Amino acid sequence: MKKYSWLVLIFIATLILPHVIGEFWIHVAIEILIFGLFAVSFNMLFGYMGQLSFGHAAYFGVGAYATGLLMLKTSVPLPVCLVFSMVAAGATALIFGYFCVRLTGIYFAILTMAFGQLIYYIIFQWYSFTGGDNGLQGIVPPEWLYNVKNYYYFTIFIVTAALIVMWFISESPFGYTMRAIRDNTERTRFIGINVRKYMLINFVVAGMFAGLAGGLLGPFTRSIAPDLCNWQQSGVPVFMTVIGGPLGFFGPMIGSVIYTFLFAFVTGFTEYWPLTIGLVIIFVVLYMPGGILGLVNEKMDSIKFKEQTGDLNNGLEKEA
Amino acid sequence: MDPSMIFAQFLSGLSRGMMLFLIASGLSLIFGVMNILNFAHAALWLVGAYFCYTFWYLMQGTALGLWFSIVLAALALAVVGWIIEVVLIRRVYNRELSEQLLLTYALVLIIDDLIKIVWGVEDKLIERPPVVADPVFIFGAPLDSYFVFVIIVGFGVAIGLWWFLKKTRYGHIVRASVFSREMVSALGIPIPRIYTGVFAMGIFIAGLAGAIQAPVGSITLGMDMAVIIQAFCVVVIGGLGSLLGTFVASLVVGEVYAFSILFWPEGALVLIFIVTALVLIIRPWGLFGTPVRT
Amino acid sequence: MKIKVTIIACMLIALAGWVQPSSSMAAEPYHLGVDLAITGTGALYCKDGVDAIKLAVGEINAKGGFLGKHPVKLFIRDSHTKPDIAVREAKDLILRDKVRAILGTYSSACAVAIKPVAQEYKVLHIPAISNSEGITLTHFSPYTYQVVPNSYMQAKAVVLGVAELAKKKGWTNYITIASDYEWGRSTQQNTVELLKQFAPNLKLKKEFWPRLGETQYTSYITAIMAQKPDFVIGSVASKDNVAWMKQAKAYGFFDKIPYPGSLISVSELILQAKTLTRGLVGLCRAPFFAHMDVPMMANFVKNFKAKYNRYPSDWAVMEYDAVYALKQGIDKAGSINSEKVKDALKGATIDTTRGKLFFRDIDNQLSCSSYIGVVSDDPKYPFPIYHDLVEVKGPDSWRPEAEILEARSKE
Repeated sequence: MKKYSWLVLIFIATLILPHVIGEFWIHVAIEILIFGLFAVSFNMLFGYMGQLSFGHAAYFGVGAYATGLLMLKTSVPLPVCLVFSMVAAGATALIFGYFCVRLTGIYFAILTMAFGQLIYYIIFQWYSFTGGDNGLQGIVPPEWLYNVKNYYYFTIFIVTAALIVMWFISESPFGYTMRAIRDNTERTRFIGINVRKYMLINFVVAGMFAGLAGGLLGPFTRSIAPDLCNWQQSGVPVFMTVIGGPLGFFGPMIGSVIYTFLFAFVTGFTEYWPLTIGLVIIFVVLYMPGGILGLVNEKMDSIKFKEQTGDLNNGLEKEA
Repeated sequence: MDPSMIFAQFLSGLSRGMMLFLIASGLSLIFGVMNILNFAHAALWLVGAYFCYTFWYLMQGTALGLWFSIVLAALALAVVGWIIEVVLIRRVYNRELSEQLLLTYALVLIIDDLIKIVWGVEDKLIERPPVVADPVFIFGAPLDSYFVFVIIVGFGVAIGLWWFLKKTRYGHIVRASVFSREMVSALGIPIPRIYTGVFAMGIFIAGLAGAIQAPVGSITLGMDMAVIIQAFCVVVIGGLGSLLGTFVASLVVGEVYAFSILFWPEGALVLIFIVTALVLIIRPWGLFGTPVRT
Repeated sequence: MKIKVTIIACMLIALAGWVQPSSSMAAEPYHLGVDLAITGTGALYCKDGVDAIKLAVGEINAKGGFLGKHPVKLFIRDSHTKPDIAVREAKDLILRDKVRAILGTYSSACAVAIKPVAQEYKVLHIPAISNSEGITLTHFSPYTYQVVPNSYMQAKAVVLGVAELAKKKGWTNYITIASDYEWGRSTQQNTVELLKQFAPNLKLKKEFWPRLGETQYTSYITAIMAQKPDFVIGSVASKDNVAWMKQAKAYGFFDKIPYPGSLISVSELILQAKTLTRGLVGLCRAPFFAHMDVPMMANFVKNFKAKYNRYPSDWAVMEYDAVYALKQGIDKAGSINSEKVKDALKGATIDTTRGKLFFRDIDNQLSCSSYIGVVSDDPKYPFPIYHDLVEVKGPDSWRPEAEILEARSKE
């Protein structure tokens, strides 16, 4: 249980947070959670399955629009809208994923990107239904979530639930099959696993959780736009995952904390955010390929190594 | 609708296709030889346009100022490309695809902001020289006379690249290094230098393309964002690694766009992605690529 | 060790919450937010707007600020011409910089997006470049005041002129080309509807919708010329307008096809001075040369030219008017409290560079005029201006109140 003790501590800290920070930073915290969820869903494809999707924002956007449209045009309660978002995003992922999982590597990346752009332009052009590039404005959360602190707790609740589900999936035999597909697709196929089917299931699940994150975004920002689906937006979870570390479950969430916080902080005094994050990414790619988690793991390993070899050295010294 | 107007639309599609080819050819070359999909290609293209503007601005009043600026901008970009390859790209040759894409994408963000810092946020306008101010009429169809120049340059680059790769010794070495890096370096030819040269050449073409784009409308920040995706699509449709494929695909995409404006304007933007998706689904190696098991 | 890390992290986050600028109670500065497209398609118009705002704020601060005791502090943010970023920046301005009013935006979509946010946080909102009617027609916000002639007013001004011209020249059909976003759509829609009303025999042959930020208009140009319409009405703005007109000219478009009543703002007049086709009938929103007899305008032009070494465009004029409208609201209310200022501005008559104008109660629209004229050279200025200028006054061109109420009842 020692492993989870710090997780519990962090969870408690997040619960007390709104009472110690200003309203602006509560908004930032909600963003961290929503985008963290988005990034964790992305990592199901990247870290666990070994494929780079550069169009994951399509499902994020579909989820956002599903909830946004339902909230603006109907009186469906928000939690139900979120379910619809997951279904809509999942359905989209099913259609696109069917084709994407037949490819790997760069072809997979470009096809996911092409599909992402397709959704972007469909939403953009379908003015009568989606409002086109005006986006959807004035999406208002229900009364009980109007106060940003309440929305914060609501978001924590949903995101935590989603993370727990994804954690169980990643630690289940299904999750280990994903890792097997990532490490050696050929061999996995040889032991009789229908690789495509498994990849598709994973793709759909990842899409559903991205849709959930998108659904949470609309009522929070009160405004959504087709840009939520484009390739630049798809790059955001990639950045977060790489910064935090793709090989650990919480890597993308850590990445979200750093990325979102950095964004809120840096844009306060300069307009050159792209330059900043560009330099950060280059640094991370060149010198920290495992992200923060990778760094932490290395330090942990070297500590363990020192502990183990320390005894050995003592033994040798004594002999000598 | 009379045939001369259909021909006019065909010409406008041809112009658009040629512009696309100029951008995509460098991308295709770099990918074909070094297996790196350079996300920053359009950003560098944009730098080429800005360089062209600056040179033109400095040479205002000189005859042939614009044409010199175009050449100078392309050369300047070759230098920039050389520096970027040596400092950054070199480090990710043996890394994962994701790291290569991320590095070049980060480069896009950095370059775009650097452009903002150096040239500011205002649009840059290059005045057209009088020789290309009026349209020409080909079989009664109007064509912006500047595009005659563009089409000629496009063909020039295509033929130039073909001749370089097929007929020159350096080109042979480059093609050989695609097949077997070990063999080429075993023969005593330093692969790093070849890669640097190819990358610089690719960026030279990008700079040329950007400089050529400069007088067409105005030069704006963020122009590269829409362009890079189109370039990727063109390279994929044509076949990753095939220059002939890139050429054909550029023209096809240009014409499809031009005619869809005529018949289905709402779909014009979407078509390129539908086509790209179809190609990747049915024939991932594109029109002219080598069939690979994906 | 991990517990320590967590505690330190919590403390850092708490610290961040306290690192916020504190405002002293005495001589409280007035935080004014500006949410404009510093980059993106709108940047061309917005630079002028920002410069004019800075000029106005400088003049006001030279006298001690609002009410002589509240120095104005500007917070300028870039909306990138994108509504979601505009909203985000607006929220930032309101929550972090604690602004009391937001000036801006360029894109009408951005204005429509910011409106509910400003309303939610009870912050004044004056979009001085965006002019889509959607800003004031439906989902009315009492915190939003419009100082630009809106798209309906502009369209009506054009239609009245074009209907005359069509009768004279025997035109029967036309084509529209409009940027595919809120303003383009709103303007085109209003124009088409009003043309049906005032020139019912005209047929709309085809509509073209280049996307906002389009840089290559060639295919559109040839497609339009292929259709051979009697005339074309364009609703393209800012950088897009520059590219469109430049490329169309290279095809001899304006020599072959009449192009009446499309937006050719003072920015285009100045920027394309050498290449703009003379004799075009154009539309604009606030040309300085139409009101040089108004002392406020003459002063403004003089100071703007002295400070920035160029003439002010429509956008500069309107942003300047926006700042002074705010000032007059504060003066009337005797306080910087946004609620009081909002009430003071309601139905108020104010002095602007374009003369004495008033805000209409039902939609907070300023009674400003639209201007139509013929592009011609003028010895007084180094760029062409409008001659035969027709000023279509606000009250003659805005949407009748009955129609507004009807539109709102459908919400």
